[in-house]
Amino acid sequence: MYRPKTSDIWPPRYGLGMWAWLFQRISGLVLALYLIGHIWVISFSIAGQGGIRFDSVLETLQKPYVLALELLLFWAVLYHGLNGLRVILIDFGLGIREQHILFWTAMAVALALLSWGIIEAWPYITGTPLI
Amino acid sequence: MQFKFHIQRYDPSSDWAPRFERYLVELDPLATVLDGLHKIQEQQDGSLCFRRSCRSAICGSCAMYINGTHRLACKTIIKSLRTKNIKVGPLPRLTIIKDLAVDMGPFFEKVERIMPYLVANSSPPKGERPQSIEERRAINEMIDCIMCGACYSACPIVGLDKDYLGPAALTKAYRFVGDSRDEGAGERLSLVNNQHGVWRCHTIFNCQKVCPKSINPTWSIQQLKKRLTRRPSWVIFGRKG
Ligand code: SF4
Ligand code: FES
Repeated sequence: MYRPKTSDIWPPRYGLGMWAWLFQRISGLVLALYLIGHIWVISFSIAGQGGIRFDSVLETLQKPYVLALELLLFWAVLYHGLNGLRVILIDFGLGIREQHILFWTAMAVALALLSWGIIEAWPYITGTPLI
Repeated sequence: MQFKFHIQRYDPSSDWAPRFERYLVELDPLATVLDGLHKIQEQQDGSLCFRRSCRSAICGSCAMYINGTHRLACKTIIKSLRTKNIKVGPLPRLTIIKDLAVDMGPFFEKVERIMPYLVANSSPPKGERPQSIEERRAINEMIDCIMCGACYSACPIVGLDKDYLGPAALTKAYRFVGDSRDEGAGERLSLVNNQHGVWRCHTIFNCQKVCPKSINPTWSIQQLKKRLTRRPSWVIFGRKG
């Protein structure tokens, strides 16, 4: 008998719930890796760490492209947090039959907060305010 | 009208992997995919293997993977696919026995595990065990399940944990737990109260997406979780997964 090798978790075959689940895993990984990186960066503030000064580390991190990446991080936080709330509500038995609405509401809130983040970060990235 | 069927074939005695074969079939657009399969089997290739019995979406034996999603072949009107190319494969993730027939053994074995029958310990009243319209309405949705296995095949958790009971068995469990006449709820809840039971569900909703009977197994699983959390904590945590 033939056992299919793939575990068939390719989301386009399925619906929104599958995408929401997959991105929850991905954003979770991103956040976990970021935390490790963050601790590593902060560790330079301890004097004598490899002879690199904390000031110069921070200077590198002020570069516009790093700041732009931080917006991505912000999106990961928003997605993970707000979709996480949706999952918690579902686990409380609320909105199981309305999970699409819950998802898009969470995403609307996330997008609103992201726009706010972009407006705030814009001057630091480009040097001129966005609005 | 002529339709092009692309059917996944696999014969364990001669093939080492599945392959697709093409068949041109003359069909009424209002015929079903199952009609097409029958026509192919009768007129072009008698070795084509698939399961069906009722041809009216009630026996659950013809669930297949048709044009990108899980469907009942007998319930899928060809016209509704909006294409002349019809791609038919067996239910994904399940072991193929031959062509479109998959091994449903593990699926039914898991359904059996949750005691899919009425448990009534008290002696029966005279006549039958009555149920009010409201009591029956509470389990209407779960009773509609035809055990086709579409939800089971679509669930990624089933793919990742071979012991996971799966959406259909858990829906069946709630069909009895929620039944006013049933007295086996305690035992049944214990059976689903482990890491291969209700707690494995990640609320991905693929089951609800593919169910040909519009059942929402996630909802039933949630009802089971709700009943479990209402039990004293030593009962919840006392059982090893
Ligand atoms: S819940 Fe729906 S998809 Fe799953 S076995 Fe029952 S009828 Fe088929
Ligand atoms: S043949 Fe019975 S459900 Fe399709």
